[in-house]
Amino acid sequence: MSWVDFSGHAYLVAFILYCVAFMFYVIAIAGQKWSNRDSKHHIARWGRTSFIVSSAGLAAHLTFFFTRWYGSGQIPTSNMYEFMSFLAMAVMIAFTIIYAIYRKPLLGMFATPLAVIIVAYASVFPKDVQPLIPSLDSYWLKIHVTTAALGEAFFAVGFAAGLMYLLRVVDYTRKDDQARKQQRWIEYTLYTIVVVVGFISIVFAFRGAGYEAHFTQENISIDTQGQTITNTEQVEYNLPPIFKPYNSHADSADSFLGLEKLQIETPSWMKGVNAGRKLNTVIWSIVAGSLLYAVLRLIFRKPLGAVIRPHMDGVNPSDLDEISYRAIAIGFPVFTLGALIFAMIWANEAWGRFWGWDPKEVWALITWLFYSVYLHFRLSRGWQGLRSAWLSVIGFVIVWFTLIGVNLIIAGLHSYAGV
Amino acid sequence: MFQNTKCECGHQNPPDTLLCESCGKPQTEVAEDAPLEMRYDGMARRSQKRNPNPLDLVWNFFSSVKIAIIIIIITLVGAAIGTIYPQGNTAEYYEQTYGWGGKLYHQLGLSSMYDSWWFVGLLVMIGTSLVICSLDRVLPLYRALSKQQIRKHLMFITRQKTVYTGPVEGNAEQWVQELAGHMKRRRYRVHTDGTALLAEKNRFSRWGPYINHIGLIVLLLALLARTIPDWKMEETIAVRDGETVQVPGTNYYVKNEKFTVEYYEEKELPDRLKNQERPKMYKTEAILYQCVQSCGEPGIDPVLEPVKNYDIIVNHPLSHKGVKLYQIGYDDQPLLKAVKPVIEDKQSGKVYGPFDLPMKDPQTEFTVGPYSLSLKAQYMEFSLNDEGNPVTLSRDPKAPAFIFMVKGPGIDAAGEPYMYFPLQKDKERFRQDVINRDLAPKVEIRVDGMENVSFTSYTSYLLVRVDRALTYVWAGLGICMLGLLMGAYWHHRRIWLRVDNGVLSLGAHTNKNHFGMRADVAWALAQMKIEVDKDKLDNGGYNS
Repeated sequence: MSWVDFSGHAYLVAFILYCVAFMFYVIAIAGQKWSNRDSKHHIARWGRTSFIVSSAGLAAHLTFFFTRWYGSGQIPTSNMYEFMSFLAMAVMIAFTIIYAIYRKPLLGMFATPLAVIIVAYASVFPKDVQPLIPSLDSYWLKIHVTTAALGEAFFAVGFAAGLMYLLRVVDYTRKDDQARKQQRWIEYTLYTIVVVVGFISIVFAFRGAGYEAHFTQENISIDTQGQTITNTEQVEYNLPPIFKPYNSHADSADSFLGLEKLQIETPSWMKGVNAGRKLNTVIWSIVAGSLLYAVLRLIFRKPLGAVIRPHMDGVNPSDLDEISYRAIAIGFPVFTLGALIFAMIWANEAWGRFWGWDPKEVWALITWLFYSVYLHFRLSRGWQGLRSAWLSVIGFVIVWFTLIGVNLIIAGLHSYAGV
Repeated sequence: MFQNTKCECGHQNPPDTLLCESCGKPQTEVAEDAPLEMRYDGMARRSQKRNPNPLDLVWNFFSSVKIAIIIIIITLVGAAIGTIYPQGNTAEYYEQTYGWGGKLYHQLGLSSMYDSWWFVGLLVMIGTSLVICSLDRVLPLYRALSKQQIRKHLMFITRQKTVYTGPVEGNAEQWVQELAGHMKRRRYRVHTDGTALLAEKNRFSRWGPYINHIGLIVLLLALLARTIPDWKMEETIAVRDGETVQVPGTNYYVKNEKFTVEYYEEKELPDRLKNQERPKMYKTEAILYQCVQSCGEPGIDPVLEPVKNYDIIVNHPLSHKGVKLYQIGYDDQPLLKAVKPVIEDKQSGKVYGPFDLPMKDPQTEFTVGPYSLSLKAQYMEFSLNDEGNPVTLSRDPKAPAFIFMVKGPGIDAAGEPYMYFPLQKDKERFRQDVINRDLAPKVEIRVDGMENVSFTSYTSYLLVRVDRALTYVWAGLGICMLGLLMGAYWHHRRIWLRVDNGVLSLGAHTNKNHFGMRADVAWALAQMKIEVDKDKLDNGGYNS
């Protein structure tokens, strides 16, 4: 067995341990109200057990990271799979640091599910070790990517705590406009998370079934001399084609509910590498996520926020507010250093300019500006609680767009990190 | 209107002071039990001046954090809009590629947005706001922190965010001294005044945000400075194998001794990428020369002296006295380097030559047998423009063409023009024989055999860069980072206490992390055998 194969097993172990740790943290917090037990004693005991399990998960994750590094001879942060799995690890590291400060098990209740989702999300992408292109071959790859990811991981912890704060304080018994607005937005946030879970499930479901469809796409472009150039490109789908690539025909397609015959064409204005496949994946994710959400609503017969809300009773909202803010305040300098300063130094070495308004750079700057707005609102304008929590949620959406959206939609110089 | 701004402790405060500069008693009527507004220690700020003149109005505008936030949000949204489509292309590109949306994008000037007056204007406004916001706050804060009174007004103490009151037994002064000893162990600076105490730590962290802002101002100024002529130069040069090229705008020359590309081996590639040529590393073995004599004099070869040998690879630029050469790419399309053509006298069938004709910097006069050629014009990539006039499309010899004035047997004594395309495909494409009309049946310049043609295999593309503002950019970023670290990872903590008739009143303030502040107070009280739950110390209010 090679080191890279071994690292894959360690990764699976980490995933399982995170799942178990999540359940333990839920028991630690929600179990306080259970009868016949002393709540202080219960939380201390289960809190400790949960932390041991989640730390074991992190240890397995670190094993994955270093064995893959050793096996492949390059730091595993250079494609989407490696980066996302590193991000999940950074979230757990950020969690451990915050836990060391506050020693509250409730932290684990939101950090572990986040890590679980990101670990699973990473597994969607191709896992093979990809040789570096020359511009990535630099020690700055290690420094820039790891620090930037760590900063983002703190923002992720801030987001999770902020979302928990919202779930804790929004009153589902109130029916006035203000309360309804909050409830709707929380529900929308939860729905988005369900769509992500839907995406991961659908990809794994069809991968397990070995679904494949192949298309030949003709790309017509006009060169500078006015001549028409036609390129044909092979596109492989691993999800049944609701949308087929623009100007393409199917070479082979496994059948699934007759979708392979439907074949709606991707609009021509959707440019970019594999636009058709990406659109198809997005549509599938929304379909799967919405179905999953509908099933959950049918089971519980009330909004998901209202389902989670009662389990949050044992949690002190001002702790959540403080932790969310603290995570962001700790992450901000790390993010500045990693995503802006180190990025600029490296860009200056590799491309000969420290700043070029490349989409990824711009979005890192937008993230930074947004969190600086967050800090100014909080420190100078006294935005606390609800407003601050909503900002932490929006901030994380921006982080996510910077990490994924830019690669999928806009591309630019960082496109090599894409899927 | 006359306002009495004298505090009951006898201190004369400036108008609009929130908390007495000396004893800390609240100077305005606020809700009785709420924690005090402690920002900038309640000092009056310049921006709060009454009856502002126009200059004050500008100052007030930029000193507002609310305005600063609004400017940042506009910048943020603007920057995001600029990423919708790629920047810096032609109008046709946007319309062709993105349809009416792209056309509109270009018409609105969003395709070169980051240099636009309004975006630069926003950055300048952020800079102004940084300067004024900081000055407006740091000066009063500095004054407040540099002259602190130890014994504070009771109302000041009991309306902090972290508060404890309770009985104390024994001699009050001794009690305070003992506590002072414990606080010192926690690295607090402690000042006592009888039964009153002030303990303070990490005051420097309060300067963090201002140092961070100074860094950002330096950075913004450095960016503006790059618009000064000569501060910034950027040009791409193509250097073929074995060629020496002047580094534009400088006295340097660079020679490409050898260019090499290394590809990944098959076994290093995953299955998905097999059978692909994937470059692993490419480098230019370069020699940098300095011109020491006859520089830039036409017709005379400059005298060059080597300065530096360096292998330029991606991520490892050659750097010499502020000039940097970056490896940015290469071209493996073979280009014509030189030919050795012959001249045939079509009438007699006699062949003369061959003679050397390099594509780059050929000599202008040639004598071949009875013929003399003088070079009148040369095109590297020959083409005809819309008016039918010859033009060159690039500086690479992709379709080279020469116009010679030919003199010799059977040719007009004044000479006749002859157009020569060294590449066979160009000769046919541009119909050399038709162009040369009368001369075509008399003479022919041609190459006999491939041994008389030499190609270069690689062209190395180097980016030449001079950026004098770079030092200041790094300095600005360094200062900014230093300020961030100071402000984010250390917290300014102060504890005031006084014992009045056996009752201890303790108040504590920090600019952030009240959780840690409460832990410190609980620890200190525990040292004095007073056990309190640290969450109970919280007096409510904001959690900044």
